[in-house]
Amino acid sequence: MMRHRVAALVLMGLLTGTAAPAGAAVRVSAAPTTLATDIGETVAFTTTITNEGARAEGALIAHLNILSIDRATYVDPEDWSTSRTRYLPPLPPGGTQTLRWAVKAVGSGVFSAYVAIVRPESTQPPTSSPAVTISVASRRTLNSGGILPLAIGVPLLLAVGVGTLRVRRRAA
Amino acid sequence: MTPARSLRPYRSSDGVIVARQEIRDLWLGGRGLALTLGFSVLLSVISYLVATNQALNYLEQRETVNLTLQVAIAVGALLALLAAANAISGERERGSLESLLVTPVSRSGLAAGKLVAALTLWLAAYVVTVPYVWFLGRDVGAVGDALLTGAVVGTLLAVFLAALGIVISIASDSNRLSLSVSLFVLLALYAPGQLPSGAQKGWFGEMLVRVNPMTAGSHVVDRIVISGSSWGDQLPWLAAPVVGALIGVAAVLVAAQRMRLHGKGTG
Repeated sequence: MMRHRVAALVLMGLLTGTAAPAGAAVRVSAAPTTLATDIGETVAFTTTITNEGARAEGALIAHLNILSIDRATYVDPEDWSTSRTRYLPPLPPGGTQTLRWAVKAVGSGVFSAYVAIVRPESTQPPTSSPAVTISVASRRTLNSGGILPLAIGVPLLLAVGVGTLRVRRRAA
Repeated sequence: MTPARSLRPYRSSDGVIVARQEIRDLWLGGRGLALTLGFSVLLSVISYLVATNQALNYLEQRETVNLTLQVAIAVGALLALLAAANAISGERERGSLESLLVTPVSRSGLAAGKLVAALTLWLAAYVVTVPYVWFLGRDVGAVGDALLTGAVVGTLLAVFLAALGIVISIASDSNRLSLSVSLFVLLALYAPGQLPSGAQKGWFGEMLVRVNPMTAGSHVVDRIVISGSSWGDQLPWLAAPVVGALIGVAAVLVAAQRMRLHGKGTG
């Protein structure tokens, strides 16, 4: 019976994208848990923090982190989001707080983002949201074909003008 | 030393005569074309970089147009400033100012003509910028906005800087001094835009950015090209470049009346 209950909880967690460590009064869910975008675009997901305990939670801190699945890809989370830390008001029992996280995809590849909830005056480990997988397609934002003729052609045209002018001046 | 002839009232024909002669010297002498060639090489490098470099390629396409346009405006206005900073002090250094001052042309006409000639460098820089902006912005419909913004903001800033250069040149003994002071002032004007965004917040930081024609002009280009903001929304920000250009022209006309054979400190 107990095994079925655990299995049901795990299944529910997988379906809704929620995470709550054993004994934690705070549960964090994320939606959606998979995102796909092009490089340079901004995507957003939300996290909902629920106080499932019987006591009010004090002021919590939510912090967004982003990492790359591929070890060769460097990620500086500051580049992805300028607002990564949120200071939340106290949460009453049963209360929820929904936060929207906008991230700008500044690199291509597969990335994982998660939100950690920290209690400021507690030694309890942070409660983390499920990981949100962000797949970023490499995109050329610009059709660079044709730039070379332009980049060479304009200065060349002017150089011909300068040369012609010099020749004429010498001849005069 | 005061020149032999007394001050004459300003006539617009004076300015036209001087401008024609100066433009001829600048462009047929080859200096204008050489500077424009250097400008086009710079724009080519930047355009090629933003179009092909992988690290810069994440920039949204409107941002690449904005980046190129901002560089074009800054460098184009710098060319006008350099030509203007050389205008009077250069004549003084070459010993040709005296003969200019005794010609039947008013001093205001002389200064106005030199100002117009310096501004043709900006005009040429703008014409050279057009194909680059067209190439970078054609897929996102940013060409019209970018070219109009570049023309309006760039011209206002070029007038402001060229006028500043003429005033400094009138007061300077030597070209070296005139160019040094002009470049120092230019850097000082650009400095507030380089402050961290946090320092630009608050009433003082925002005021500094708003009253400075360079930073306010850059803000207008930014907002219209990247964010698609309307001209109506940007009018308050356009005030500083407009006022700067008007004050600059007025300052040129006033300073021209005090033009001496020697600069300040030796005359």
